[in-house]
Parts: sequence; structure tokens; C-alpha cells
Amino acid sequence: MTPAAWSAVEAFIVLNALLVLVAYVTLLERKFAARMQSRIGPYYVGRPHGWLQPIADALKLMMKEDIVPTASDRWVYNLAPIVFLLPCLLIFATIPFAPNLGVADLNIGVLFFLAVSSLEIVGLFMGGWGSNNKYALLSAMRAVNQIISYDLPFIFAALVPVLLAGSMQMSAIVAAQQGLWFVAYPVIGQLAFVAFLIATLAAENRVPFDILEAESELVAGFRVEYSGMKFALIQLGEYAHMLGTSFLAALLFLGGWLGPGPAALGPAWLLLKAILVFLVVTWVRWSFVRIRVDQILAISWKLLLPATLVLLLATGFVVAVRGAGGG
Amino acid sequence: MPETEITQVVELGYGGNERLMMNMGPQHPSSHGVFRMILTLEGETVVAVDAVIGYLHRCHEKLGETLTYVQYPSIASKTDYVAAMTSELAYVYAVEKIAKIEVPRRAQYLRVVAAELQRIASHCLWLGTWCLDMGGALGGGATVFLYCIREREMVLDRFEELTGARLLYGFHQVGGTRYDVPPGWDTKVRETIDFIEARLDEYEAMLEGNTFFTVRTRGVGVISRELAQEVGVSGPLLRGSGVGYDVRRAEPYSSYGDFDFVVPVETAGDCYARYRVRMVEFRQSIRIIRQALDGLPEGPISSRPGVKSVGQVRVPKGEGYARVEGARGEVGCYIVSDGGPKAYRMKWRGASFSNLAVLPHIIPGHKVADVVAIMGSVDPVFGEVDR
Amino acid sequence: MADNGGRPTTGFWRVTVQLVGAVGRAMSVTLRNLFRKPVTVHYPDVQRPYPDRFRGILALAYEKDTGEEACIGCRLCEYICPPQVIKVEMLKTAKRNYAKTFTLELYACEFCELCVQVCPTDAIIMMKSFDLAAADRRDLLLDKDRLHALGLQFEPSWATGNRLRDMQAPPKPAKAEARGEAKGEAKEPAE
Repeated sequence: MTPAAWSAVEAFIVLNALLVLVAYVTLLERKFAARMQSRIGPYYVGRPHGWLQPIADALKLMMKEDIVPTASDRWVYNLAPIVFLLPCLLIFATIPFAPNLGVADLNIGVLFFLAVSSLEIVGLFMGGWGSNNKYALLSAMRAVNQIISYDLPFIFAALVPVLLAGSMQMSAIVAAQQGLWFVAYPVIGQLAFVAFLIATLAAENRVPFDILEAESELVAGFRVEYSGMKFALIQLGEYAHMLGTSFLAALLFLGGWLGPGPAALGPAWLLLKAILVFLVVTWVRWSFVRIRVDQILAISWKLLLPATLVLLLATGFVVAVRGAGGG
Repeated sequence: MPETEITQVVELGYGGNERLMMNMGPQHPSSHGVFRMILTLEGETVVAVDAVIGYLHRCHEKLGETLTYVQYPSIASKTDYVAAMTSELAYVYAVEKIAKIEVPRRAQYLRVVAAELQRIASHCLWLGTWCLDMGGALGGGATVFLYCIREREMVLDRFEELTGARLLYGFHQVGGTRYDVPPGWDTKVRETIDFIEARLDEYEAMLEGNTFFTVRTRGVGVISRELAQEVGVSGPLLRGSGVGYDVRRAEPYSSYGDFDFVVPVETAGDCYARYRVRMVEFRQSIRIIRQALDGLPEGPISSRPGVKSVGQVRVPKGEGYARVEGARGEVGCYIVSDGGPKAYRMKWRGASFSNLAVLPHIIPGHKVADVVAIMGSVDPVFGEVDR
Repeated sequence: MADNGGRPTTGFWRVTVQLVGAVGRAMSVTLRNLFRKPVTVHYPDVQRPYPDRFRGILALAYEKDTGEEACIGCRLCEYICPPQVIKVEMLKTAKRNYAKTFTLELYACEFCELCVQVCPTDAIIMMKSFDLAAADRRDLLLDKDRLHALGLQFEPSWATGNRLRDMQAPPKPAKAEARGEAKGEAKEPAE
């Protein structure tokens, strides 16, 4: 098979596996959240633990009526879910699941990931604008503010492992963690991991930074006018992005596919670590109230950005010293 | 019918000067009921608030004229349906005041136990819905909400054992109460309040000192002492602004003078102060219930025979105003009687109605997100507002 | 975000430490609840136990000793009902009165128990169940036969007219002796 055909097949497999994974990750989140709230979560659909719930939800959304507001900006409104979804799926192209298993293990992998993932803001704003709804507009304006502010600390925190490994290629970063996972790197590793998690929460619009959807004020924010399949695409995009950054965290900080046992278990370890990061983010999400948008921006510009900048400089210094010392 | 002049037309749209008029409600997850606020926004800052009420008007005051003194206590619970016991108490207390009916001591103590248990249940709902509004239905707010509802269900189970109903009780009647305690009830109540006291520590651990929570609530929605007294707010809003006024202390009713409790007062006047007031009220209510159960006297539960006919209670001509300290503030009932079995005129002083009047004064200047925090800390129930 | 603007370094660290502590506390509460048993009751597979006084569906009862209908058609319940959902027509016979028709609109009923309270013969009672959901409102317009059938179908709750009135009555020794068993159940002190 030609390499191009082989890549196409790989991409197809990854995309489908991703869709199933995203669906079941929503179920995992709902059960996890339910148990934290002294209740059970999905139970009856696919007894006894709601295994068929994601399928039922997907079928329901496909069968729903597609309502388009009369006064909406047609092209912008209809294209927004797709423009939102594409970057969220595209980031998985650069994620390697094992040393040679991945759609495209680019040597600028991390850069590609970070650049493409911040394109979702375009789709988000298109959705908010095209809906011709004041709540959606308010939410879209907040979103632009918030995601742009948090992209910088996100990038800086993600660059710390890049510096420590000396390469932007994801498999090289994992290979550099053979001895010590970057999260265990004294001080710098932990701080970078925490900063990365906080920036992830904000870039994903997760509580405590979910002011842009703020169900109790804006009733679903930029998504408020979407129904049926378009809503499903937006949900899919959000969770895929969430999962993508979890995978990135697992690769950059938690050693990727490294773990005890045969090398064939690598992808399983990666999946496990990504789910672990996802659960930690979910745990934070279900424990806190949200904060206001100006406070969110204050945290980003006054706290997180200077902190990650200093961290990056310190990492550079450490790497230079270690490099000079023959490390 | 004469033409009434429309004095103010509120147009929704772009109000010039880069101002946006946004409608919040009547169907809105955070309006705590059916309540419409027309917010004028400049960017994210609220510049003016126009509050529209009346969506839940059910003609209570007319019902008070068509239903007799025997029938109405069951309906009175529907004004403040979250704290039903205190609403019923206001009505029967007003009737007893006019007719100078003596209430036996056991009934008074039972009324106190019911009212304080109701205050605990109502504050559980307040905390849950407030955090739900601030934290999102899919987020940490829902977690606190479900914890609070879990505890509230225990209190409602106690009420179910006492009266048979979980939300709208019909517990009070003119002259006393309708139900006596079933066997084993007070042990269960003691267990319940011990359990809730332990869980309160958990809520405080989740919220207190939590920067996410304090930045949302400190300095937000400050009601100054002068404004509070001028507008006529009551309850935790008043006590959070530095005025130590509690009807249970100012004009003790139903043997509240027998109990030893602290009336919490905070001076900051912001949402956090009102939160602290209500959290202290939780513990004080638990304290009162323990004292009431310890000292529960024997005796009849009503000084009038049980209801046998619809016109049984006749009240001599007169008028009277009774006020009680509900969970939201001072709930008052004013009755004018003409000697028959029905009231001639009945008026409710809803605590939330007066409390809501403070909103156009304190909201402008805050951001949209603060509006829900302030609404939650004001804790309105629209049954009381619209009656 | 810092409390004092005085010495920035101290303020920053103090706020950060406080924030980390608060975050840890909140997350530990959530984690603790993760391992607690859920409070969900799997209704309708599992019914929770209803207390004795539960105010559920209304029904008409028969007299215990004779097996006849207890309702004498006196219409006291009709007069006291606040939303006026009960309509009764009396049927007079030589021995005693009956209810010719008895309709109760359950969809408008408030479940306030006032009708039970006033009934002189303990004819109208409430059941310990509320399971009467219907797809058509007309199914909830209960007529006399339906009310009698409901009385046999579910478990009745504790409250009947006489028991409630005895519980509420100021003490009269003679009357209390006469209703021995009812009094014992109703007036048992809670201490």
C-alpha cells in the first residue's frame, strides 16, 4: 500500500476510534460526577450502568429537528459547528500512540498542536455571532477574551517539556522521559504541570473558568441556538479538544506510553494517563463555583502569564547549565 | 373603563451609546422563580435594572376573603412555599391575635420546632440554589446543590412523618397545631440535626476561604445600613448590613422568649456577609430545636376543638397584624375581620417583596455575573412576592 | 487579588498558599463523597417506606363492623374543600343516608386532608401511596366506585376524621375514655 493510502487508513481508524472514545468519555464523566454528588448517573439505558447511554444520546441528537433562527446569519451560523469541530479533530493527527503509531508524528508536533487547537476560537465566535442572540453574543465576546488570554500561559507551560527534551517532536519528548517523567522533574516539572492544567481548564471552558457558557446566566452561551446534529458536533468538538489536551498532558508530562510491561502495552498506558488527567480536570470542574470574567482575565494576565514566563526562563537556564555540564 | 396612561415604555434593543438591553427572565435558570429583569448593559457592566414581577400572582388576598379561617391555613403555605411553616404561622397568629385565642404551650413549642426545622430546610435550599447559580448546573455548583438537597430531604422526611406532607403542610390551625408528634419522632429529629450539623462543616470547608467563592461574593451587592433601613428589607439582608433586628427578639411570639439563641449580625453588607448570617442561623436553629425538644411540655396541641365544620372559627370584629421571622425576613399578615367565619380583608407582607425592592439600587455598577450572585443572596421566593 | 497591597511578595505567596489550601479542602470534600453510598432510591423498582401519616390518594372506606359504605352523604367534606373538588349528592333512606353520587377531582386536589379531618364517620380517608399517574385527566376524575376500589387497593394511612379530631381536642376526660384505642394511638407522647 502506498504511504498515502496507508496514512488515509490510519486517519480513518483514528477518527473512528476517537469518536467512540469521546462518546464513552462523556459517560465516564457523568458517572464520576454523579458519584461525587451521592447519586448514580446514567443507569437504565443499557443496564445496569448505562453503557448504551452515549449511543442513545447520539441517536437522539441525530433525530432532533434542526431549528435555524430566521434572523441568523445563515452562512456563518451553519458553518460555525464545522469550523469549531475541525481543529478539535485535527489535533489528533499529531498525537502518537506508540513510538511509530500515529497519523503524522511531525517534528514540529507540539507547535502544530498548539497552533491548531487555538483555531477553535474562530468557530466559537462564528457560532456566537451568527446566532443573532444577545446571550450568544455576550458569551462569544467573553470566549474570545478568555481563550486568547489563556493561550499564552498554555503555550509557555507546554514549552517547558519541549525545552527539557530539546525537541518539538512528541515521540522525542516521550523518549526523553525514559529516566524521569517531566512531571517529577524537581520544582519546574510540577509547577509546569499545574500551570498546564490551569490553562487547560481555561482553554476548555471548564469550571471554574466556564463563564462563557455559564448555564445559570447565559443558558449555554454560544451554543444556545443550536439543536440536533449541529449541537452534537459542537459537543463532540468540545470533548475531543478536552481529550486532546489530556493526551498532550500525558505525552508531555506523564511519560506517554512509558510504563512497566511489554512495549505493546504502550498505547494502553497512554490512554490510562490521558483518562487520569481528564478525571482530575473533571474533579476540579465538579468542585468549584465559577469566577467572573474580569477575575478570570486578571488571573491570566497578572498571575499565570508572568509565572509561566518566569518558569520558561528558569527552565531555559536549567537546560543551559545541564547542557554545559554534559548532561 | 378609563384609559390608563402608560408611563414608561421599555424598548428592548440597542439603547444607543453602545448600550445593550438584555432580558433576564421570566424563564431563566437563575431567576429563582418567574421574575423578569431588564438589564441595561454597557459591555459587561449593568447600568440599570428594571424589575418586572407579577408572573406568579394567584390572588391569595382574594382567597383570604373567600375561604374561611379554617380553610385558609392550608393555602397560606403556598405563599412562601419554600418555608411553608412560617407562612402558615403568620396567618394563624394574626387570627389568634384578633380573637385573643390562647395557644397551649405544647403547641407553641411544636410551632417553634416546626419553624426552625423549616428555616434549616429553607437555608439548605438557599445555599444549594445560590451555588448552583454561581457555579453552573454542570459544575461545582451542582455538587453543592445536591449535597444541600440531600440534607434537606432528611428534614422533609421528618415533616412527612409529622404531617404526612413534604412541602405544603397545613400543620397550623387557629388555636394550635393540627398534628402531634408521632412516637419516636423527636429522636429522629435529634439524629437529623446532628447529622446536618456535621455536614455544615463540610459545606463551609468547600466554600469558606475558597478564593473562587470569596472573589464572587466579597464586595458584591453591598447594601449599606441606611439603604437597608430606607427600603425596608428584613431578615438576613438587614442583619448582613449591620442592623441587629430579628422579629423573634424584637417581638417574641410563640414562646421564643424561652429559648437562648444568638442573632447573627454582620456589618459588611455584601453577599459574603449575608452568607455568613445564614450559616450562623443554621446552627442557631439547631440550637433552638434542641432546647425546644428538651423542654417540650405535655398538654393539648390546640385550645380549640378539632375542625368539624367549615365555619367553625368565628372571629369578633377587629383587625390585627402579626409578623413572624421567616427564613427570608419578616413575613406579616394583616387581617380585618367583621365577625364572620371569613376575613373581610387580608393582606400579606411578603418578605421577598420588600427585599427585591433593593435590587435597582445595588445592582448597577456590577457585572452580569454578579447579578446572579446578588439574586441568590437576596433569596427571593416568588410566591411571597406576587402572592 | 492579594489582601494587602503593601509588600507584594508576601501578599502573593500568602494568597497562593491560601488558594492551594482552599482548593485542596474543597476537592477533598468531593473526593470523600465519591466513596459514599449514593442516596438514590430506584423508584419504581424499590419503594421507600412511607410514614404512617402519609397523605396520598383519597378513597372511600367501608364500615368495619357492618361492611356497608361509611359515607352518609352529609357533604361536610364538600363544604370544607378549599379548591372545591368534591361533589356529593345525598340519598335518604329509612335507616340511614348514603351518598348517591360522590365525585372527587383528583387532578385539582390539594391533598390538604381537611376533608378527612371533618368526616364524622371516617368515610373519606387517604392512602399511603400516590401512584396514580394517568395520561388523561379524565382518568383522575374519581367517581364513587373508583374511590371505593382505591380504598381496597392501597394501604390506608393512619389519619381518619375521628383520630385527627381526638388528637387536636383539648383534653376532656370522659370523651378520652370513650375512644380508648384511638386515643392511645393518637396521643402517645413523643418523649
